Amino acid sequence: MATSSPILQQLGCFRSLLRPQSLTQSSQLGRRALSTVYSAKPEPQPLPANLPEQFIRQLPLRMRPSPERKTRKVPPPPPAPKCKDPIGAVQEAQLAQLDPTGERMALFDYRRNPRSVKVGDILRVTFKNGDPFSGVCLSIRLRGIDTSFLLRNQLTRVGVEMAVKVFSPNVESVEIVQRTEKRKRRARLYYMRKPKHDMGSVENLVANYLRQKRSIAGKKTGGASKRR
Amino acid sequence: MIQLKTMLNCIDNSGAAVVECVNVLKKKRPATVGDRIVVVVQKQRNFGPDSTNNVGIANKVRRGDIRHAVVVRARKEMQRPDGSIVKFDDNACVLVNKSGDPIGTRMNGVVATELRGRQWSKILSLAPMHV
Repeated sequence: MATSSPILQQLGCFRSLLRPQSLTQSSQLGRRALSTVYSAKPEPQPLPANLPEQFIRQLPLRMRPSPERKTRKVPPPPPAPKCKDPIGAVQEAQLAQLDPTGERMALFDYRRNPRSVKVGDILRVTFKNGDPFSGVCLSIRLRGIDTSFLLRNQLTRVGVEMAVKVFSPNVESVEIVQRTEKRKRRARLYYMRKPKHDMGSVENLVANYLRQKRSIAGKKTGGASKRR
Repeated sequence: MIQLKTMLNCIDNSGAAVVECVNVLKKKRPATVGDRIVVVVQKQRNFGPDSTNNVGIANKVRRGDIRHAVVVRARKEMQRPDGSIVKFDDNACVLVNKSGDPIGTRMNGVVATELRGRQWSKILSLAPMHV
């Protein structure tokens, strides 16, 4: 247009008249509404039955024949167990294995057995590896197979606490060195950690007890001790 | 749970009585028994009967010294593999040199057996008692 003469430029307002009729019609068509004519999706053409294998890879993905779906074998769900309390059953089984006679349980079940260990008693635990630990029982935690007790002692003037699992296979024996004189009114004697109430070392009491035990055992020639 | 600013008792005869933790080594969390820490000596042990016997040992470290140490007791309870729990009433450590040998020659006080699993058997054999 820039190359056309200035006269033609000035006559530009008549350009629309100069346009061929067909073009103007197409422009009117261009200003049509948003709705378009619906045309159905073309039916997929069936592939020839004897199409060689190498040709299939040349086809676009949407035209390739879909591979046959694998039928996966789903096993039926196992029959529901008839156990109401599986955790309880497991714990019972473990208890039956770790404490077949129920002796340990009775030793610590202070709710049912009046002769059991009570908080405030002085206990001595011997482990499988040989080193014993003794101390005042501060608390007994009754939790089935997880039952444990907390012992406190002072070794070389440093307070040491040890929580031991009653049914641990590492625990060889638990002995009551001395029972508490008076029933404690608390279930957990955590106040004994305070210096005012701290019992201090119980090593002397334990040594005394061991001496007595040895003398008794000597008289009876290996008779029954307090060991449980 | 020994971390920055924790004050620990020093239970060997290196001359330090109270030390302060300034760094926990090889760990991004608070130190416990068997961990190596860096400490500053805050309080020196006063010259007791130990120093008269062996003047050289009594003052191996001075107040303000920066040393490595191994935690031997922790107030935070620790669980053993069999489920039992051990805790002490204080935090205590033993000074060691850079190569891991204890600076002191004697120790007073109980230590935790966990030191054995952490290659600190030398400290464990110096200790009068272990739990």
